[in-house]
Amino acid sequence: MRRGALVLEHATRTFSVRADRGRTLKELVLRRRAAGPPPVTALRDVSLHVEAGETVGIVGRNGAGKTSTLRVLAGIVPLDSGRVACGGQVVALLELGAGFGRDFSGRENILLNGALYGMSRAEIEARVEDIIAFSELDAFIDVPVKTYSSGMFVRLGFSIAAHLDPDVLLIDEVLAVGDEAFQRKCEARVAAQVEAGATLVLVSHDAALVERTCERVVVLDGGAVVFDGPAADGLGFYHELMGTIPGASASAVRTAVTGDPRTREVTPS
Amino acid sequence: MRRYRFLFEQLVRRELRQKYQGSALGIAWYVVNPLVLMGAYYLLFGVLFPPARVADFPLFLMVGLVVWLFFSQSLLQAASSLLDQGALIRKARFPRESVPAAVVTVQLVTFLAVLALVAVVEVAVRGTLGAPLLVLPLLLAALYAFTLGLALVVAVLHAYFRDVAPILSAVLLPWFFLSPIFYRPADVASEHAWARDVLRWVNPVAPFIESIRGVLYAGTWPSGAALLYVVAAAALALAGGRALFRRLEAELAVVV
Repeated sequence: MRRGALVLEHATRTFSVRADRGRTLKELVLRRRAAGPPPVTALRDVSLHVEAGETVGIVGRNGAGKTSTLRVLAGIVPLDSGRVACGGQVVALLELGAGFGRDFSGRENILLNGALYGMSRAEIEARVEDIIAFSELDAFIDVPVKTYSSGMFVRLGFSIAAHLDPDVLLIDEVLAVGDEAFQRKCEARVAAQVEAGATLVLVSHDAALVERTCERVVVLDGGAVVFDGPAADGLGFYHELMGTIPGASASAVRTAVTGDPRTREVTPS
Repeated sequence: MRRYRFLFEQLVRRELRQKYQGSALGIAWYVVNPLVLMGAYYLLFGVLFPPARVADFPLFLMVGLVVWLFFSQSLLQAASSLLDQGALIRKARFPRESVPAAVVTVQLVTFLAVLALVAVVEVAVRGTLGAPLLVLPLLLAALYAFTLGLALVVAVLHAYFRDVAPILSAVLLPWFFLSPIFYRPADVASEHAWARDVLRWVNPVAPFIESIRGVLYAGTWPSGAALLYVVAAAALALAGGRALFRRLEAELAVVV
């Protein structure tokens, strides 16, 4: 498998939606689960091939399976059936600062967070100064992160993730970090990594951001791929799906995209 | 796996720091705890009910107590470790066993610190400086592997079935009394002679306690059978624990 390429074939995954996800021994012994809502299908036969260096935006309503797709690609959640494969080092930004130790300084959390992404001490130490400079935390880098504002917290989280130089970058709605100036810096940093050859998969509700950063758009609905093609067409399809552009008809969008060989439309079964 | 060596180091460091931060006595708690227990058992079985014809009874007690505390604390803390680190497990991909392994390793660090103190006192007072001490590293390595194997089991099971930690704490108390900590199986009354072998060999912790105490307190070599037992128990627990963990770890991000 090529570094930076991603493959998802006939991926299906369901989740139990009970409040208490752990099972109790009583249920195990009695060989049945207590009554509760039926499981939810987050991914329904999803197939996705991403070449190295591609930029893909995944859009869709809440609960369409966008984050589940990322968690499957990141290897955090296994599939019920189907196949997933990723080439090279994958970094998933699902939540900035996840797992920060609150009593630890920003600098110590850089080490822990980098280690979580599989980096060695030498690799992290080579980047520490860049990360600190990028985060603009200055003197705050040496105080416990529990004293940080939420903006500072996510700025540090992004700065670490942005300096890992992965082959594949999976981002879940975490580009809107800090003030406007910092957001622009984040986008520029991601763009630079894409420029350097990284593959980007971005989940976002921000259509303008997807348009700026992605060449290709995948629209998910009810856990299935309902559109996969060039960004402009994909966003058109998405707006129409969401009913946010009154007047545009589905057929107009479809005819507009059928000429493109990369375009694939999937009707949900 | 190698890639994540640094992560393991960071997790251990973090646990250690969190344990001692904001606590006035810090690491000293690990000495105070067995000392208090030792005092209580000495009062009970050394003074009030004195059937113990054991010389230097406090020193006899101390070895068993610190070994037991390492074992039981490791299991108790490992049981909830995966849930405690849920934020990491849900959001990042890394070898999940590093979480319970870090917990056990932190316990090992404090155990070794306390045991070093105990060993100095034992060797000085009991005059046990001699060749049997050479087998101590092997015994401790086996104890670590044995505890780690069981810790992997309770950690992953507790993530799925939340009854495991309460069951474990209920089991550990009688287990403590059945372990040869404040007595020797050999001292069991002769009308219950059959119980000697049960106490000695059915409880897998017993050979660890008796061998380590033999070396430090009595200055004797562990028997060949005991050595074989601890090494086999360690290998079995570690292999079994890892196998079970491998089977169940895939869904951890969903269940924690």
